[in-house]
Amino acid sequence: MRPGRTSLMDSWRAVAPHALVWRQWDDDVVLYNDATGSTHQLGPLGGEVMLCLLRHPAGIDVAALARDMNAIIEIPDELQLAAEIQRALDDLVELQLAERFSA
Amino acid sequence: MGPIVANIASPFRSVESAIALHYAAHDVAPATEFADFHVAVDPVGGLRRWIRPQAFFRFDANPPFNPLAAGQAFPLLEWGLNWCVSAHCHQYLIVHAAVIERGGRALILPAPPGSGKSTLCAALVARGWRLLSDELAMIDAHTREIVPLPRPISLKNASISVMSGFWPEGPMSPVVHDTLKGSVAHVRPPASSVERASERAAPGWIVLPVFRAGESPTLTRLPRSAGFMRLVESAFSYSVLGRLGFDILADVVAASGCHEFTYGGQLDEAVRMFDALAGDR
Repeated sequence: MRPGRTSLMDSWRAVAPHALVWRQWDDDVVLYNDATGSTHQLGPLGGEVMLCLLRHPAGIDVAALARDMNAIIEIPDELQLAAEIQRALDDLVELQLAERFSA
Repeated sequence: MGPIVANIASPFRSVESAIALHYAAHDVAPATEFADFHVAVDPVGGLRRWIRPQAFFRFDANPPFNPLAAGQAFPLLEWGLNWCVSAHCHQYLIVHAAVIERGGRALILPAPPGSGKSTLCAALVARGWRLLSDELAMIDAHTREIVPLPRPISLKNASISVMSGFWPEGPMSPVVHDTLKGSVAHVRPPASSVERASERAAPGWIVLPVFRAGESPTLTRLPRSAGFMRLVESAFSYSVLGRLGFDILADVVAASGCHEFTYGGQLDEAVRMFDALAGDR
């Protein structure tokens, strides 16, 4: 991961997806990371972003993430959704679940 | 006791009489039979034999804890046995929780001290729910069933007098004061629960009890993710089992309804609400 501010052009992927197991109930996701031994409870947006990253192991940018998630979460303002996704990605980076990379 | 055989030795008369009271319905294995744990509660030697006598718990002849006052010998045995099971029986995923059963389904009450877990457990057992355990929910790693470990119910402080009034016929040991947990008394597990110790139960409900003095009882549905995280926080062997631990708890939560139960001591009303919950399914 490179330091600095995130942008819509950055690509994102799950860290060590083979080490992750998860369950989704209602809107929430709980996830176990076998690489760190940590268990996480993710809210609706964070959970959907994480599952979206797992569906795209080669990586995905925020714009594509927003398009992917628009089908799941109905938010009329696309820019607001992108900003929320960006925030969720930053949280996932903090949890060592996601990383930015250069495509 | 359930699937566990413990070889217990102690010269303390208080331990002998408490075992006679609380384990009267349990099977006694021949001394030559294999035992999972060899434990003892022995007096501390030297000057401590005469001045403020103390007792220590031995596990395979070694004392894993600091000694306590000799008057606390039986609670020390119970706490020591809890430690033996939770620290060593990794064929199960063990959660710090009371578990009781109705209609083949287990009600799991994971909770930190002070939440009223044991009081609620004792009240429901007094009104006909089957006791699986007051302290340790043992989940079979393969079947996800709850394995009974019916042992004395540990009551603390105000809940001792509350339960004496609610369940006057419940056989209770003398109160031991000034322990690390305050005043402690144990209630004998019903013989019917001990006799059915080989009958496992499927997960049914996960209820997080919250005691708030004076508050009316309220049962609120919780997201499964919240119930799951509470089980993770309360599990002894979760990190030992790793990914398997996650799968076990996730399967238990998926099979259960999750609730929070806030109450302020109205035990009759609490029992009525849990009976209704059991009838809901």
